[in-house]
Amino acid sequence: MKKFTKFGALALAAALSVSVVAATTPASAATCATKTKVTMLGTIKVEIQDQFLAAVKDYNASQSCYTVTSIPGDAKLTFLQNVTPLYAAKNAPTIMYALQEIPDMADKVMDWKGTKLASLVSPSLLAAATVGTKLVGVPSTAEAFGLLYNKKVLDKAGVDPTKINTRSSLEVALRKVKAAGAGGVRFSSIWWSLGAHFTNIYFANAGATHEDRLKVLDGLSDGTKALSKDPVFQNYLATFALLNKYNQAKPNTTDTEYDLSVADLASGKAAFWFMGNWAEPNLLTASPSTDFGIMPLPISQDPNFAGNKSISVGVPGYFMIDNTQSTAAERAGAMDFLEWLYTTPAGQQHVAGPIADGGMNFIPVYKGFTVSPKTYMAKEISKYVVAGKTLEWINTYYPAGGQDLYGASGQKLMAGKITGDQYATELQNAWKGSVKTWRGVKK
Amino acid sequence: MHHGNQLKKFLLFALIPLSIFTVVLLYPFIQGMYLTFTNWNGFTHDKYVGLANYTKSLRDPAFWVTLRFTFKYVVVSVITINAVAFGLALLVTSKLKSSNIFRTFLFIPNLIGGVILGVIWQFIFNTALVSLSHKLGWSLFSSSWLGDTNTAFWALIIVTTWQASGYMMIIYVTGLISIEQDVIEAARVDGASAARTLWSIKMPLMAQAFTISIFLTLRGGFMAYDVNLALTGGGPYRTTELIAMHIFQDAFAFGNFGTGQSKAVLLFFLVAAAALVQVTISKRAEVQQ
Repeated sequence: MKKFTKFGALALAAALSVSVVAATTPASAATCATKTKVTMLGTIKVEIQDQFLAAVKDYNASQSCYTVTSIPGDAKLTFLQNVTPLYAAKNAPTIMYALQEIPDMADKVMDWKGTKLASLVSPSLLAAATVGTKLVGVPSTAEAFGLLYNKKVLDKAGVDPTKINTRSSLEVALRKVKAAGAGGVRFSSIWWSLGAHFTNIYFANAGATHEDRLKVLDGLSDGTKALSKDPVFQNYLATFALLNKYNQAKPNTTDTEYDLSVADLASGKAAFWFMGNWAEPNLLTASPSTDFGIMPLPISQDPNFAGNKSISVGVPGYFMIDNTQSTAAERAGAMDFLEWLYTTPAGQQHVAGPIADGGMNFIPVYKGFTVSPKTYMAKEISKYVVAGKTLEWINTYYPAGGQDLYGASGQKLMAGKITGDQYATELQNAWKGSVKTWRGVKK
Repeated sequence: MHHGNQLKKFLLFALIPLSIFTVVLLYPFIQGMYLTFTNWNGFTHDKYVGLANYTKSLRDPAFWVTLRFTFKYVVVSVITINAVAFGLALLVTSKLKSSNIFRTFLFIPNLIGGVILGVIWQFIFNTALVSLSHKLGWSLFSSSWLGDTNTAFWALIIVTTWQASGYMMIIYVTGLISIEQDVIEAARVDGASAARTLWSIKMPLMAQAFTISIFLTLRGGFMAYDVNLALTGGGPYRTTELIAMHIFQDAFAFGNFGTGQSKAVLLFFLVAAAALVQVTISKRAEVQQ
């Protein structure tokens, strides 16, 4: 997912087409006299919007009780920008999809506890959607980020990604690929990549347990955490410097960076790219015959350090169902649609099927999936997940907008406008006094 | 009786516009003011917080940084837009055969919405100029102007000027052609040069056009949002955020609806004060024939 905090979801034309409902109803489905209209704000994300809307269309044709309609928002705006006017107009969508806004929505949406979908997900993936004792949402998929690589380039340079387990061995690998003619690593100066994903490499390694990691966030809010004194942060800064040194391109803060990076990794101009598996479809479109893998970004010199062996895996967004302005029938319809999507073979085909076949290429997070992803990177991620070599997405708990500030500081550090110490100070100041939404405190 | 008639007439013409004004402007405005004194979170509010939102807003260093940047943008864009617009107005009111076509073409940028305009110019700055300069060996555009704070500022100015000057040009054209020809004739008979005529005759007689144009550009500068969003998006490093974007971000990206709304109220008073001062000064320069 390219911009998982942005309201990455919407398009007018496609959404309008969804309301067209097929006239025939399969004999097996329950019959209803009238169809209840269930609205969803946007879709899951803009990159796979057509695929999602195709699933909606299939669902609407598969039964006679509900019509799910995606109401388009403005993709340039954030989730809150889109949703607050709808609530104010007493016209709230029934289904909503968001991540960092979960604390903002917690008192307005349904509790998923005890539902069929909630029972099919591993509890660790529900942690980020639990506010107090309430289960606010259920996940769409799991995504992962780390160092993406072009397998052809690494093979040619004689680099085995599974052998890279310290910062120095990463540097050795970078020298090798450069000697073999490729350009090293693409370190993109994209605010959301630096602000949410790269900083997660520090926050996920900053504590041994979930609670320890949240304590780091507490410390930043209280103004008691000195990042520069934290050895993990020093290692993190050294990794930042290493990627910057071997950055294959000049820092580019404009909107062209994502597409240029895709092109360079796909063509082998770059051997590595710090990004996530949402880029795999883009990469495969640019170079269909190449395998693109994912590996951990090692941040310390200790080969046994867990963070050096793990990739960041998390949920990019949760489905929420409004509980304040919707009817019971609308809520039932919303639930029915999501259950259809994740538990029936037809729905699963839409969820996990390859992009080329009209699927969303999602990594399944619900038990009982009969369809599994086929691409190289998706299979690699499954291996990390099965082996438990995953880092938590602490960025899910960042205060709303916090990653924007982190992203700006990261861009400055990359461009050499500030030093590592100044960067640490900027990160500390960014959140000082933030409401501890990660503790369930309301704004 | 006479009085009643007047009222009836007034209501007949003004009732609909007045009620629309009340519903879509006055009511939201007062509601917005009211919300700044509450703990509004974008959805609901349940207690009064006095001036807390305002003190918090004024203590926010980013607010001041953005405000300074906005002032710079307003001052420079008011000068460039009006200079270019007035120059163009002189050009298209001169005795050129094709002046009507020029008027139309120069006005067109104004008809392009800010967001589309931003996308077009983003392409020009990010891609077109950069690849041209690599081919031709220019150093000026070797990296995107949108990637650096200073050049991104000038990119904003260029696009704003390009967009707004066509509209202002029309106002200046109206001003120029409303000057009675016999006054200009008289000046010429008295032996005044073209420059002298412009400075001493034309400009004082069309000072109203300056008042209007400067007011519109001043207000437009403080309120600028769409070009900012579409062209730089506030980047790089959030250093090109204008005040309107800062307010929008504060409320909707950071979820700080209280401070976002109170900054918007502060901006309203700021713009009102600036406009009042400007109009008062400009009015003094206007002459009556």
